[in-house]
Order: sequence, then C-alpha cells, then structure tokens
Amino acid sequence: MSTFLDSLGGWLLVVLVGAPLLAAAVLLAVGDRVGDRTAAETGTAVAAGTLLVAALAAVGAAPYDRPGTGLSVDVAWIPALGVRFHLGLDGLGAPLVLLTALLTLLVCWHLVRVRPVAGRVRGLVACILTVESGALATFTAQDLLLFFVAFEVVLVPMWFVVALWGDDTQAPRVGEPSTPLAGGESARRDAANRFVLYTALGSAVMLLGLVLVALRAGTTDLAALAYAGGAGMSTTTQTIAATLIVLGLAVKAPMFPLHTWLPPAHTIAPTAGSVLLAGVLLKMGTYGLVRVAVPVVPDGVRAIAPFLGALGVAGILWGGLACLVERDLKRLVAFSSVAHMGFVLLGVASMTPQGLQGALFANVAHGLITGLLFLVVGGLKDRRHTADLEGLGSGLRDRLPRLGWLLAFGAVAGLGLPGLAGFWGELLAIVGAWNGEGALGPLARPLAVLAAVGTALAAAYLLRVLFLVWHGPNGRSAGAAGPAALFAPVTVGDATTHEVAVAAPLVVATVVLGLLPWLLLDVTAPIVRVLLAGVGS
Amino acid sequence: MSAITGVQAVDPLALAPAIATLGTILVLVLVDAVAPAAARLRRVHDAVALAGLVVSGVFVAVLGVAATGRDLGPVAGAAVRSTVCVAGQGEYTLPTCSFVVSPLTLTLQAVVVVGAIVCLLLAVDGPGARDRSVHHLLLLATVTGALVLAGSRDLATLVVAFETASLPVIGLVALRRDAQGAQGAVTLLLTAVASLGLLLVGVAMLLLATGSLHLDRIAAAVGDPTLPDSVRVVAVAGTLLAVAGIAFKLSVVPFHLWTPDTYAGAPLPVAAFLSVVSKAAGLAAVVVLLGVGLPALGDAWSPAVAVLAALTLTVGNLVALRQTVAVRLLAWSTVAQAGWVVLPLGAVASGTPGDARQAVAASVGYLVAYGVASLLAFSVVVLLARHHPAGEDHTLEAYRGLARREPVAAAALGFALLCLAGLPPGLVGLVAKVVAVRPLVDAGVWWLAVVAAANVALGVAYYLRWTALLVVRPTAVPPTWRVRPAEGIALGVSLALCVAFSVLPQVVAGLVPTALR
Repeated sequence: MSTFLDSLGGWLLVVLVGAPLLAAAVLLAVGDRVGDRTAAETGTAVAAGTLLVAALAAVGAAPYDRPGTGLSVDVAWIPALGVRFHLGLDGLGAPLVLLTALLTLLVCWHLVRVRPVAGRVRGLVACILTVESGALATFTAQDLLLFFVAFEVVLVPMWFVVALWGDDTQAPRVGEPSTPLAGGESARRDAANRFVLYTALGSAVMLLGLVLVALRAGTTDLAALAYAGGAGMSTTTQTIAATLIVLGLAVKAPMFPLHTWLPPAHTIAPTAGSVLLAGVLLKMGTYGLVRVAVPVVPDGVRAIAPFLGALGVAGILWGGLACLVERDLKRLVAFSSVAHMGFVLLGVASMTPQGLQGALFANVAHGLITGLLFLVVGGLKDRRHTADLEGLGSGLRDRLPRLGWLLAFGAVAGLGLPGLAGFWGELLAIVGAWNGEGALGPLARPLAVLAAVGTALAAAYLLRVLFLVWHGPNGRSAGAAGPAALFAPVTVGDATTHEVAVAAPLVVATVVLGLLPWLLLDVTAPIVRVLLAGVGS
Repeated sequence: MSAITGVQAVDPLALAPAIATLGTILVLVLVDAVAPAAARLRRVHDAVALAGLVVSGVFVAVLGVAATGRDLGPVAGAAVRSTVCVAGQGEYTLPTCSFVVSPLTLTLQAVVVVGAIVCLLLAVDGPGARDRSVHHLLLLATVTGALVLAGSRDLATLVVAFETASLPVIGLVALRRDAQGAQGAVTLLLTAVASLGLLLVGVAMLLLATGSLHLDRIAAAVGDPTLPDSVRVVAVAGTLLAVAGIAFKLSVVPFHLWTPDTYAGAPLPVAAFLSVVSKAAGLAAVVVLLGVGLPALGDAWSPAVAVLAALTLTVGNLVALRQTVAVRLLAWSTVAQAGWVVLPLGAVASGTPGDARQAVAASVGYLVAYGVASLLAFSVVVLLARHHPAGEDHTLEAYRGLARREPVAAAALGFALLCLAGLPPGLVGLVAKVVAVRPLVDAGVWWLAVVAAANVALGVAYYLRWTALLVVRPTAVPPTWRVRPAEGIALGVSLALCVAFSVLPQVVAGLVPTALR
C-alpha cells in the first residue's frame, strides 16, 4: 500500500485539488440540460471520489512528523516572486482535508433529495465543488503565496452561494407580525457582500504581511520558513508581519470584534452554504494562524499573543451571551461558532503544545458538530420557514422525534459533554492557556478561567434551546398556522431516512473522536512539536 | 549597432515598430487620395491599418527575441539596441542616445501594439464607421507616438512623442459627432493643452538645472552629490511640473476630471483605446522620465507620487461604487486602476537605482495585467452596446442574466472583472496586486500599503456587483447576439491573453530588467 502511494506521490494531491475544480467547470459548461437531481448526484459522486483520494493521501502522508513532506508535488510557478506550485500533506493539513472532503460529500448528498429554497442545483453544486477545491488547496499549500491564492479561491463561489441560493423566506416573528424581517434579494445580497468585503479586506491586509515575510526571509517555502523559525527577521519586522497576518486571518476565523459578517452570512446561506462556511471556511482562518503565523514569525506572534488570547476569550463570552438572548436558531448556531472559534484562537495564542493541539482538535470538532447543527436547523427551516425558537414551538421530542434527537445530540456535543468530540479541544485549549505564561504573560490564568466560564455559558444557552424547542408539551405555537404558512414547506413530517443518513457520519465521527481522541491527537502531535520548535519554549 | 561618432546615425531596425505604423499612415493617405471617401474601400482601409499594426508587433517581437538572447550575457542589460546617438564629450565619456530599445521599451511597445490591434478590431464595425480612414489615421498616429515615447531617452523626443500620442486622441473622441462626443473632445482638448504647458515648463526647468536634454546625462547631473541646493530645487520643481503635465494621460487624481465625460462621449472602442493604449503611453512617459532620468530625485518625487496614487485609488473606487452606467463605471474604475499602476513608484524615496528599477518593473507589470483585463472587459461591453437599445449609454441592468443568453461572453466579462478586482480565478490581477504592493512593503511605506489594501475591498465591491448581475435571473429575454468576425477575434485574443497570463503570471511578475535603460 505504502509503495503504491509513494509511486503516485504528490500527484495524488493534484488530483485531490483538481478533480472538484474540473467537475465544477464541467457542470458550469454543460448548461441547463442537466437536471437538478443529476447535478446533485454528479456532485455527490465527485465528492465521494475526492474523499477517497483524500483518505488515500492521508494514509500516504504518514508519519506526519515533518511539515509538508508526507506527500508533495513541487513545480516552479512564478520564479520572479520565488513562488512554487508546492502542495504537500502533513499532520496539520490531513485532518482538515478529510473534514473538508467529508462535509462536501454530505452537503452534495443532501442536495440529491432536498432542494434549496431558491435557484438551480447545478450552479450550487459547481460553487460547492469550487469551494472544496480552494479549501483543499489551502490545507495542502506549502508556499506562502500559493496559500494566499488558494485562500482567495473560495471567496467568489461562496459569495455566489449566499447571494444566489440564500434562504430569504423569512416568516415574520411570532407576536411581531407588523415588523417582518428584511427578506428577498436585498437581504441575500447584503449578507453576501458583507461576507466578501470583510474577507477581501482581511485578505489584502494579510497579503501585506505575507509579502513582508517573503521579502525579509527570502523564501516563500512554508517548511523552510517553519524550520527557520523567524531567523533573519528582527522582532519589529516579525511583529509587523504577525499583526498584519493575524488581523487578516482573524476576519475569517472570526475573531471578536471582526465577526460581524458571520451571523448574517450563516443565517441567510442555504444549508449547504452554512455547513461549508462553518465547517470549512472558518477553519481556513485558524489553520492559517497555525501554518503561516505561529511557526513563521514566532516572536511577532508572541508579542501580540495577549491581544489574540484576550479577543478570543471576548469572542467566547460575547458569543455565549448573544446566544442566551438570540431567538433565531440559525443565528444562534452562528453565534455559537464565534464562541467555539474563540477557544481555537485562545489555544493558538497560548503557543503551547497543548493549546495548539487543542486548537486543531477543536477545529475539527467544531466542523463536525456545527455541520450537524446546521443540517438539523436547515431541516427544521425547510418545514416551517422559520428558525424562530418560539415559531418552531415546543415538544419537538414528541412531534418530530428524529430531528429532535439529532438536535439534542448536536446541542450536548456543542456544550462540550465529556465523551463527545467537543470536549477535548476546548479542554486542551483551556489547559494550554493556563500554562501559557510564555506567550500570554500574566493574562494566562485569568483568560483560562474566563474561557471556562464560557463553557458554562455554552451549557446555559444550549440547554435553553433544548428547553424551548425539544422539551415541553407537544404544543404547536400560536403562530404556527399564521405567518409560517406564507411559504409552502419544502419538506413535511419528520426527518427522512435520507436526512438521517446524511447526518449519521457526523454523529458517528463526533462519538468516535470523543471516545478515542488520540486518533486525532497522535496525528497532530509530531507536527505541533516541529512547528513550536522555532518558538523556543 | 549604430556608428558611435559625432555624427548622428540612425538604426532603422531599432525604430522599425514606429516606422511600420508611420508607413501605414502614408499608405492610408495615398489610398484616400486616390479614391476619396470610397465606401467600397472600407475593408481595404481596415486591412491596411491592421496589417500595419501587426507588422509593427512582429518587429517588437523580433527585437524582443534578440534582446532576450543578448541580455543573458555577462554585461546584463547592456546589450540593447540604441540609435540617434552622440559621442561622449567633455565630462561624459560614454555616448548617449535619444532612442533606446531596452526590455522596458519593448514591454511598453508590446502593450501599445496589442491594445491598438484589439481596439482597431473592435472599431471596424463599431459606431462612426463612416470615418474609416480618419479613424485609422488618428489611431495609427497615436500608436506611433506611443511607440516612440517608450524608447525616447531625451526630453525633446519625449515631449514630441508624448504630444503625438495625445493630440490625435482628441480627434478620435470627436468621431461620435454628437453633443456628448463634442463635449468629451473639448474637455480632453482643454486638459491636454493645459498639461502641455505644465510639461514644457517642467522640461525647460530640468534643462536649465542640468544643462542637458539627454536623460542619462540628467541622471548623472542630479545624482552628483555636489549638486548645489539651489540647482536641485529647480530640478525638483521641474520634475514635479513635468509629472503633473503627464499625469492627465494616466487619469491620476486630481488630473482625472476629463475622464468620465470623455469616456462617455467617445465611441466605446475609443474609450477602450484611451484606457489601455493612451494609459500605456502615459506610464511610458512617467517611467522614462522618473525611472531612467531622475531616480536620484526619488526622495522628492516619490512621496508626491505616493500621495497621488492614494488619492487616485480612493477617489476612483469611491465614485465607481455609485455608478450605474456601464461605461462610466469603467471610466472611474480605470481611474482607480491608474492608482494601482503608479502605486509602486511611491516607494522610491531612497533614490537608489535598484529601488527605481523594482518600482518601474512593478508598475509596468501591473499595466500589462490591467491592459489585458481592460481590453477583455471592453470587448464584451462593445458587443453588448451594439445589441442594446440604449447603445453605448446602457446601464449595468443590461447585463442582468447575460449568462443565460450569451454564456461565453458573460464568462469572459466575469473573468475580466475578477481580474480587475484581483480575485481568483482572475489570477493575473491578483499577482499584479502582489507585484504592485511588493515595493511598498519592501520600502516600508506602510500608510500607502494600507490604503491600497483598503482599496482592494472597495474595488471588489463594485466589480462583484457587476459580476453578480450576469448570473441572476433575467427580467426580459435579451436578443441573441450576432458577433462579427472582428469582434470575435478581439474578444478571443484578449480572453486568451487573460487566461494565459493567469496560468503563467510570471509574465506579469517577471518584468525585472537587470538594468533600467
């Protein structure tokens, strides 16, 4: 097996990145002759193939102990800028590559039976596959500027996903029929624009930092930069570069207070878009921190780590408090993403092995759990055209048991119940912060304590959701027959077998990673040691 | 090589690209004289003009291949062709030449020729088709001026070539022969005349301060550390006035005011010509004057250029955000893009030749990327204008749902807009932006770098707004297009160039000549 993979070498990665892109181009080129069902099935087949290739590549990339050398392809691309088309897979990228391929497969499969509220499926699948390709390229890029290019690839297709296939059928809130929520094309366009403008501005700022690193370090090779650990760059240069790079990535992660693009985008996006935004795009930001910030400009990141950690914790608390009062379930899940990503940022800012490990673990766990939650909430919205907690009504447990149990599972996983995937990442991030005096200074312990308070907040808001929607008498709320009836439901009744089957892999993965966390920790441990070697802790 | 004697010798091959277009003008005049205003000779006029441009392009390519082959020698950058030289005398031991064929010259000439060919193809069936010979004459005259300008290395040649590249454009703008066209032409005429005055005063002051018209001697004179401050002040003032005189051609704020009116008043292919060829000529004048002649005064002109670039980017993008008429949006977007083009020149405050070389290479690299993307965008806009009831004044709404009717044209326009915005798949634009900010980051001009970064987001906003319209559901079914061969070729050529440069951005990033001559 191993020799077979060796002979394939890095070209496996070219197939991994190229196949979804090619399929997207073909789907766009064939025109409307292809029906919705066929398009979704094609997408599913391509995504399944990509997942297979990703699995092969992940196996072939073992033992994951050196940056970018497991499997790699390396071709000169722009010699004048020293940029190479260099893809490589290591312990940092492998888990996220698998997560991306898995989530793409699930959302494409989801589209086979469940149509989005607006628009044709063919274009949506093409956009999803392009996003997948860009994300996979981001997670395998081993060159600073190639990373940037890949990072930018997802922008335009994701913008289209939100702007064209967004779910704008907002029923008025219960009890406030006179103030309908803004809906229609303008709402979609507004959410999509906010997403793309924030991210484009962040990327441009990050680019300045990347160019500074490339100029001062004299190379754009990420492995070489990681081994150099900032050597040859003064602390001032490193601090400027780290500030620019972290600012740019923090928009995408997102970091409080740069998160304000996230709730509207996640809320308006169709189910597939929400899952990919939360499960893949946010990860690109935090992955970038671990890949192009911490090992490349360690002194600079250490200088700004207290701010990063403090803003991460602010995100945890702000997200948690917002969730406590949020009435729209989809927005609530979006705000909980801000809180969860706060843990990831705190873990990175600690610059300790535990913290970084925790950040990487929480990244994957959040992708699985939030992906599941968005699938379930999207399912609920398909039935009632509202995600308003009161509009959904209580007693979901009895009325729609399958959806109800999936929601309950997602919620307890999200609040970090031990034994499920959400627990380990956040625990390790807090432990890392507690031990992170080296980077966080005197803030280390207070931040760890506040982050722990944040987990209590998570428990409070998720239990509130369960109390309002899942638990209680089988009472259809007063507004049930009113505003929600404005739109015909996409689906009626409880979750279909198809919907359960789509959600099942996420449930299984959440349980497996919760019970056997070392499956993931063993993959990331060696590479984290290498990346932190330059930090000198 | 030309004989290096006291006598001026002319090397015809060095001047061949310009001679080709000049010869074509003569042929066109002859044809016109033999059969004046003969409608049946329209195609002959078109063919002659096109052939002239193609021959000129072939000469540029031949010289380029020769220069590449020889540039690899140990004395890199030295083996360029030059002509109209005078022998060294007195303190200047080396011969000095008025026309130099360097990699810089050839790159600028290539942009000019390719841009002119595409614009000509767009124009042959476009509005104002009655004025075939006049149109072609004016276009070729402008191109001749721009080609000479790229190689000019003395102030007299530079001024004459610059005016040759500027004045015929006014005639081109007036070709629409309506009130709007006349207004556009008058606006441009007034700007051009005022700018000529500034340029002449600036050049005169430079001559006064350095005692020479030749740029390499001027470079040596202002680079002399013993230069008295009083003389230096005159040289700096002359430089700034000359830059102000050239800036209108690049549509740099605050010398941009003619741009929106003129673009809206000119026939669309002429607007495309203004945005690519005319801008290339403006940049040629700027980089030749500042990069070749005055790098030593970088500490004086570079901050000024930096302020102009920041203003141009911000004003252009902010106004473009509010435009609804397609050609006006393009006009303001070319203002913003001009800011990107001159941006790298804001990072030469050190005044070292190395920095000047990097900045000039970045500017020209950005021009190449902008040029191909702009040509592609205009190709589609011209096509749409011909099929839309509102003609050249159509709004962005005309693009609603274009992807359903004309998928190829819509894809091409979307690609061009993303190239201009600098987002994948428009990699040529993205790499060009990397190239443009590199000198700023290197020199630590952070305020300008941050302004540029903010302007990326502003640009994305309106380019994406336009791109989005292409794919939404159309309100009315637009008529199917009948694309004429010339327009098809123009679209194909510019699309091919955009795609090729996106796959191989080295073309844009790799314009780093070993020496600036």
